[in-house]
Amino acid sequence: MTSRSVSDLAEVRDELHVVARDLLGKAGPGAEPGWDVLAASGWLGIEVPDEFGGADATFAEVAVIAEELGRAATRVPYLGAIVLGAGTLRAAAPGDGRAELLGQVAAGEALAVAVITGGDPAFRLTDGQGGRLRLNGEASFVPDAADASRLLVVAYPGDGVGDPVIVALNPLVPGLAITPTPLLDETRGLAEVQAGEVEVAPEEVWRFSGDPHAAVQRLRDRASVALACDSLGVAQAMLEKTVAYVKVRHQFGRPVGSFQAVKHACADMLVQIAVARELVAAAVDALTEPPEGPGAAEAAASVAASMAKSYTGTAAVDVAGKAMQLHGGVGYAREAGIHTYLKRAALNRDLFGSPIAHRARLASRYRPAAAGS
Amino acid sequence: MPALTADLEDFRTTVRDWCRAHIPADWRAAQTGVPDEENVAFQRWWFAQLRDAGYAVPHWPARWGGGLPVAQQAVLYQELAAHDAPRLVLAFVSIHHAAATLLEAGTEEQRSRHLPAILDGEIWVQGFSEPEAGSDLAALRTTAQRDGDRYLVNGQKLWASGATHADWCLLLARTDQAAPKRHGISYFLLDMRSPGIDVRPIQNAVGDSHFCEIFLNDVAVPTANLVGAENAGWQVAQATLGAERGLVMLELAERLGNAGFRWLTEACDQLGLLGDSLTADRLAGFETEITGLRALCLNLIERHQTGRAGPADASIVKLYYSELLQRMTGFGAEITGLPSHATLRKPASSGWESGAWMLDFIGSWEWTIPGGTSEIQRNIIAERGLGLPREAVA
Repeated sequence: MTSRSVSDLAEVRDELHVVARDLLGKAGPGAEPGWDVLAASGWLGIEVPDEFGGADATFAEVAVIAEELGRAATRVPYLGAIVLGAGTLRAAAPGDGRAELLGQVAAGEALAVAVITGGDPAFRLTDGQGGRLRLNGEASFVPDAADASRLLVVAYPGDGVGDPVIVALNPLVPGLAITPTPLLDETRGLAEVQAGEVEVAPEEVWRFSGDPHAAVQRLRDRASVALACDSLGVAQAMLEKTVAYVKVRHQFGRPVGSFQAVKHACADMLVQIAVARELVAAAVDALTEPPEGPGAAEAAASVAASMAKSYTGTAAVDVAGKAMQLHGGVGYAREAGIHTYLKRAALNRDLFGSPIAHRARLASRYRPAAAGS
Repeated sequence: MPALTADLEDFRTTVRDWCRAHIPADWRAAQTGVPDEENVAFQRWWFAQLRDAGYAVPHWPARWGGGLPVAQQAVLYQELAAHDAPRLVLAFVSIHHAAATLLEAGTEEQRSRHLPAILDGEIWVQGFSEPEAGSDLAALRTTAQRDGDRYLVNGQKLWASGATHADWCLLLARTDQAAPKRHGISYFLLDMRSPGIDVRPIQNAVGDSHFCEIFLNDVAVPTANLVGAENAGWQVAQATLGAERGLVMLELAERLGNAGFRWLTEACDQLGLLGDSLTADRLAGFETEITGLRALCLNLIERHQTGRAGPADASIVKLYYSELLQRMTGFGAEITGLPSHATLRKPASSGWESGAWMLDFIGSWEWTIPGGTSEIQRNIIAERGLGLPREAVA
C-alpha cells in the first residue's frame, strides 16, 4: 500500500467521523436513532462484502462509528449486531443462510446478534435422541441479545474441546430464553441468554471459514477494541464538555479554569486521552487485517487489543469522573448528563474483560514457560 | 510487501548488522565505576563510531551530514535501543539543542563554524536557568552589555549539565533592562575558554556532579556570536526548545521499552514474583503505558515533520515520560526492596534508567523538574492545548 492510499483512507475515516458526529450529536446522549437511519448511512454493512449490498470496508471504519457512538452515548445495538454479529457472519464459511442474512444485515432488515462470551465455552451442541442436535448453555450480560431477530450462538461440541461453530437461531424457538438485564447504564442493552434442549436443524449450524479458535478469539478482541473505541469517544466528549464549562463558570471573580488545580486536572485528562488514542489506533490497525490463524501476528493483535481495552477502559472512567468533579454540584445533578457517561465508561471498562483480566492475559507472556511461544 | 515498508525493513537489517558488529558486548561492565575522563573518552569514541556510520546526526539536513528520512530515524533509535547501544550523553546538547538553534536561527557563518565542529566532537552546554530564573525563565538577570564589537556578560547560570566538559555554551542574557522581560533577552554563542568564566559542579540527589553553576565575570562575547536579532533571544529559544523533543523522547521511550522493561521483568523473575498476580498486573500496566508512549513519540515526530504538531504535543510527551519513569523506577525499588537501598552506585547504562532501581527512582526527579517542571508542562497543556485562561504574565 502506498502512502498516498493510506492518507486517502485516513481522509475517508476523518469524513466518516464528521458525518457520524453530526448525525449522532443531533440525537443527544442516550438517544435511540432508528436502525433504519444507521442502515441508510451505510454503517451496518461496513464490513459486508459488496455482493451482499455492503461497503466491503474494514474494521477501521467500524471503529470510527464505535468511537462516535461513545462520544454521543447513543443507545443502539451496534456492539452485538455489527461489531460482533456482522463480524461473526463475515467469519463464517460461505453458505446460503449466511449469504441471505448478510444482505439483510446490511439493509437493516435483520438484527443478527452474536452470543459470544469472554471466557470458557458457554454453549454445548450435542447429538440428542435420533441424531438430532441439541443446544444447551447460558450466558449473561450478552450485548443486545434482547433486540435480536436472529441469534448467532458460538457453541462447542459436547466434549468442549473440539472446534466451535455458529448456531444461527430464531430467538423465539422453544427452549431459548432471552431476559433483559436492567442496568445502571441505560444506554446499553445486555441480556441473559439461556438454551435448554433447544432443537437445532443441521442447516442452522455454520462453520467458521478459517481456524475456528482464532476466529472466536478475533471476535472477542473485536468486542474489546470496539469498547475501547467507545470509551475513547466517551472520554473525549467529557473532556470537551468540561473544558467548555470551566471556561465560563466563574467563582471568586474569575473563570474556574484559570485555577491551576482545575487546569492540571484538565491537562491530565488530555494526556490520558492522547495515550489511549495511540493504543486504540494500534489495536484497530492490528484487527483490520483478517485473522490468519494461530501465530505471531494473531498473538500480537490480541496483545494490542488487551492493551487498548485495559488502558482506555480505566482512562475513560477517570476522565468522566474528573468531569463530574470539575462540574461541581451541577455535574452530580442528573440533568447535566455526566452520570450517563460515567456509567457507560464504567460498563465499557468491565464488559469483555476488566482491565485486570486483560493485564493478566498480557502478563502470561512474561513467564519463562511462555517464552518463545 | 509494499515498497516503502520493504525499504524500511532493509534499513532495519542494515542497522541491526551494524549494531552487532560495533557495540562492544561488555561495555556496560567495562564502563561501570570508571573515572570521569575515561567515561568522556568512551563517549567520544562511541560518537565517532556513530558519526562514521552516518548515524550520529540523522536528523540534521543532508548538507550538514544528516538527511535520513524520519521513518528511518525512528528505526535507527529502535534498533540502537534493542541492542543496548550506549546513549550519546556527552554530545546530547550539541547534536540536538545547539544544532537546532544554529539551523533555525544561526547565520551561515555560525553554522559553518560549528556544525562540522560538532561532528568532530565539539561539546555544548545550555546556559539558560539562573538562581532566580527557573520556571520563570524570562526573569533571568545575567546581563550582556554592548561594548563596541563585543558584549560584556555578567551573571550566574545554574543547572548547566555537563559544563565542565563543554567547549561552547548556548547563553541567554539580558540586553535591555528597560524592556518587558521577554523582550529584553538575547541569545549568544559563548566560547567556554573565554576569560572570566568559572564552572563549579553541583552534587545532585544521586551523588552525580554533571550539573554545574557557571559564573560569568566581564566575559567578552563578539557581536558575531549573537544568534538572531538583539533582544529577540526569547523567540529564538522558544522556536528551538521543542524542536527535537519527538526524537529525543522516542529514543528514551525505546530505551525504557527495551532494557528498562527487561530489567524490571528480570528483577521480578529473580524474586520469583512473575506468577504473583499483583506484580504481574503492575508489569502489564507498565508494558501497556510504554507501548502508548512509544506510539505517542512516533506520532509526534510524524506530526512535527508534516507541520501538524499541536502546541502542547511536546509537553504531553515530556510529562508522560517523566511520570511513567518515576512510577516505574519507584515500582522497581519497591519490588527489589532493601537491597536496592544498598546499591550505592549506578551501573553504566544504555538507557536513562540503569536497573539500580532506588538510584533510578531518586534520579527520576531529574526528569520531572528540569526542562520545564511537570507543573509548568501541565500549565502549557491546559493553556495552549485546551485553551484554558492564562494567568497574568508580565
